[in-house]
Amino acid sequence: MAEAATNNERGSQTLCQHCGAQPAGAHFCPVCGKIQAVAEGSDHFSFFGLPRKLRIDESELEKTFYALSRQFHPDYFMSASEAERQASMERSSMLNDAYRTLRDRIARVTYLLSLEGYKEAEKKAPPDLLEEVFELNMQVEELKAAKKMGDEEEVADARLSLEEALDGLRKKLAGIDDRLLALFEDWDSALDRSAGKAEKKPLLDRMSELLSHRSYVRHLVRGIQEEL
Amino acid sequence: MPVIELSLSGRPKSARVVGIDLGTTNSLVAYMSDTGPEVIRDKSGDGLVPSIVYYDHEEDRLLVGEEARERLITEPRKAIYSVKRFMGKGSADVREDLSLVPFQIAPGSEQVIGFQMGDRVFTPPEISAFILRDLKRRASQFFGEEVSQAVITVPAYFNDAQRQATKDAGHLAGLEVLRIVNEPTAASLAYGIDKKDEAIVAVYDLGGGTFDISILKLKDGIFEVLATNGDTHLGGDDIDNRLITLIIDELERSSGKNVAHDPAVFQAVRKLVIQAKHELSICDHALLEIYSPAEPGAGYNREITRDEFDSLITDLVERTLGPCKQALKDANLNPEQIDEVVMVGGSTRIPLVRSKVKELFEREPHIELNPDEVVALGAAIQADVLAGGRRDLLLLDVTPLSLGIETMGGVVARIINRNSTIPASAAEMFTTWVDNQTGIDVHVLQGERELVEDCRSLARFTLKGIPPQPAGLPRIEVKFLIDANGILTVSARDLRTGQQHSIEVKPSYGLTDEQIEKMLLDSFEFAEEDVRKRQLIEARNEAETVVRAAEKALAEHAQGLIDDEERAGIRRALDDLRQAVGGDDHHLIRERIKGLDDASRHLAEIIMDSALVSALKDRKASEVAEG
Repeated sequence: MAEAATNNERGSQTLCQHCGAQPAGAHFCPVCGKIQAVAEGSDHFSFFGLPRKLRIDESELEKTFYALSRQFHPDYFMSASEAERQASMERSSMLNDAYRTLRDRIARVTYLLSLEGYKEAEKKAPPDLLEEVFELNMQVEELKAAKKMGDEEEVADARLSLEEALDGLRKKLAGIDDRLLALFEDWDSALDRSAGKAEKKPLLDRMSELLSHRSYVRHLVRGIQEEL
Repeated sequence: MPVIELSLSGRPKSARVVGIDLGTTNSLVAYMSDTGPEVIRDKSGDGLVPSIVYYDHEEDRLLVGEEARERLITEPRKAIYSVKRFMGKGSADVREDLSLVPFQIAPGSEQVIGFQMGDRVFTPPEISAFILRDLKRRASQFFGEEVSQAVITVPAYFNDAQRQATKDAGHLAGLEVLRIVNEPTAASLAYGIDKKDEAIVAVYDLGGGTFDISILKLKDGIFEVLATNGDTHLGGDDIDNRLITLIIDELERSSGKNVAHDPAVFQAVRKLVIQAKHELSICDHALLEIYSPAEPGAGYNREITRDEFDSLITDLVERTLGPCKQALKDANLNPEQIDEVVMVGGSTRIPLVRSKVKELFEREPHIELNPDEVVALGAAIQADVLAGGRRDLLLLDVTPLSLGIETMGGVVARIINRNSTIPASAAEMFTTWVDNQTGIDVHVLQGERELVEDCRSLARFTLKGIPPQPAGLPRIEVKFLIDANGILTVSARDLRTGQQHSIEVKPSYGLTDEQIEKMLLDSFEFAEEDVRKRQLIEARNEAETVVRAAEKALAEHAQGLIDDEERAGIRRALDDLRQAVGGDDHHLIRERIKGLDDASRHLAEIIMDSALVSALKDRKASEVAEG
């Protein structure tokens, strides 16, 4: 773990602010043992000493989170020097931010894409959904109209067909998630093989697109749920 | 500042840190003893200090706690209670609350409320500071050394301004607030020790003025808050108000007089219904009685059954269930996944509350610890952690509200989501809109809504000193850091020059540093130069008041109200106290004051009831309405 952190944060050339030794991105100075300020350019993966892989053992991640919390938390630096207290606060907040991002697979892949220079995925309709969306909008309008008229039978009918449509959308979401997970696997093995950019880019493109679809469908589901 | 090296092996025990529950109705201070957390009690064994402050501007006298409570009835205009509701608030935020209390609000209370007391104005942090100072004194006396560091608890829902106001109160009281801890989290700390390795805990906290529900995960000695929710305007006070309204309506109907705005009647009825409420937690009926032996037949009495009480408050109790369900949803849990339910707050003694909670979570809630004390006990445990006493325990708290900044069109861009583990940080990039712009205004907000107008304004600040450049070229990184207390700090850096920018954060609701400095100076007259001397003076002052009141009561009222034996007992207690006042032992004076209090309590109650009865009987409606 410490090794990976060293690799990723190397080059920052940060010296230990307590003893002047060069801890090169470790959480604690290997010489004086004091907590280090967060090095510039440190990312969530390297902070946890992880490669940029997408399949993460979540219980292992949690264990590391707890272990690092016990090392960094400001509670344990109440009577330490100002610099150490500041470092403890920064490192704890970084740890919390990193854990929050990495423990959720969607947040994790979104973060990886941002590290790889992708902009935040905008909502985009999956092409095979376009017709359905048209149909759905009609049904939502029907439900609204029925509600307005106070026609309970119509409302019940419209509800029923929308609920059916919702089931379909949820299945679609599950399908998107399955495809994402398959891509996670491809990505990780590409990393293992130290694959080049030409191999990695299509994977990232595909994941970015799936995220756009995902957020579109989720938005749709939420809209329908609100109407129901 | 002096630097103390923290050695990981040696565990140097630094100064004593106490845990304080600064409650809406009552406050407590606790510490970590060799055997576990303990509430620090007074001589009569009472741990609760009523969160009430009395100030008489003519005599420049300040009383806190039980002594202030006693004056609530006789001089309601000089006492402030439930001040916690007003912490970190402007007058517009709490119009409804203000309509429920008989306080006079000073002009200029838009940003920070000021309570007018005679010719002086006190803000909520100052009132809270008086309570904290009392707790500090109690703890210092207990240890025989000055206590100057504390952990203070706040409702999980407190926003930045309210947390900051609490910290300010500590500062004004001469306490360094090492940590602000969420009350439900503290409670689960108190219950969590020596418990399972892993558990999901729901903490249901129905206190005097606030309701909080927190879902926590406990694993390997780490408490993690999964979700919090609640209602900042729901608690025992609301239950009291239901009963008060019921009784006052009946009083007005039977007497044909308008007494709702008579502070003396209000306070007396309040005391009465609180007693009845407590009784109803044990018995299935209670008697509400105002009786004057001098005027038999003019009093008021009424029985209330538990069923009647339950139906009066059902909707209030059920209002707690919505936030519970929302918290479960936020934590992604079903009720059956909750392993433990912890009850906090005096109102959880109400059988209806217990049964509703049991029904929702499908399990028997924990009531082993005193629900009034459990938060302070947890605070003491956290205090011990911060004092370096233990490292096996770690509390990971969350921020209860999302943090955002205002963007174009009055929309809030969220930068830190609620329920994020703290400390938490976020960095935002800012740039200029016009050429040669040297400052950028930033507006920080807290809340869950989309629009600026629906969120709580936390602060505004301006990034200054940006070198003149074409629009869009400067890149200023602003870092928002929510510390382990849930309090925001902001720093800014010019990414091109690496230069730090100065930020003057102007809190939207709260005291500025200058105001606090001024208050510190102002409070010199209340400062404790010499604790002993001060205690003696206070004890003498108090003795004087008590003696005067007892003499007056004996002279004016005792005839016919009490028997000779009782009168002789009061006389004896009076003489004892007078003798003690001649000496310089404040302990003895206090003891004798209590002796006189005990001896004259019955008489005082009769007099109070009589006063109320005659208020109902003699005063014209117009007089009462004018107060």
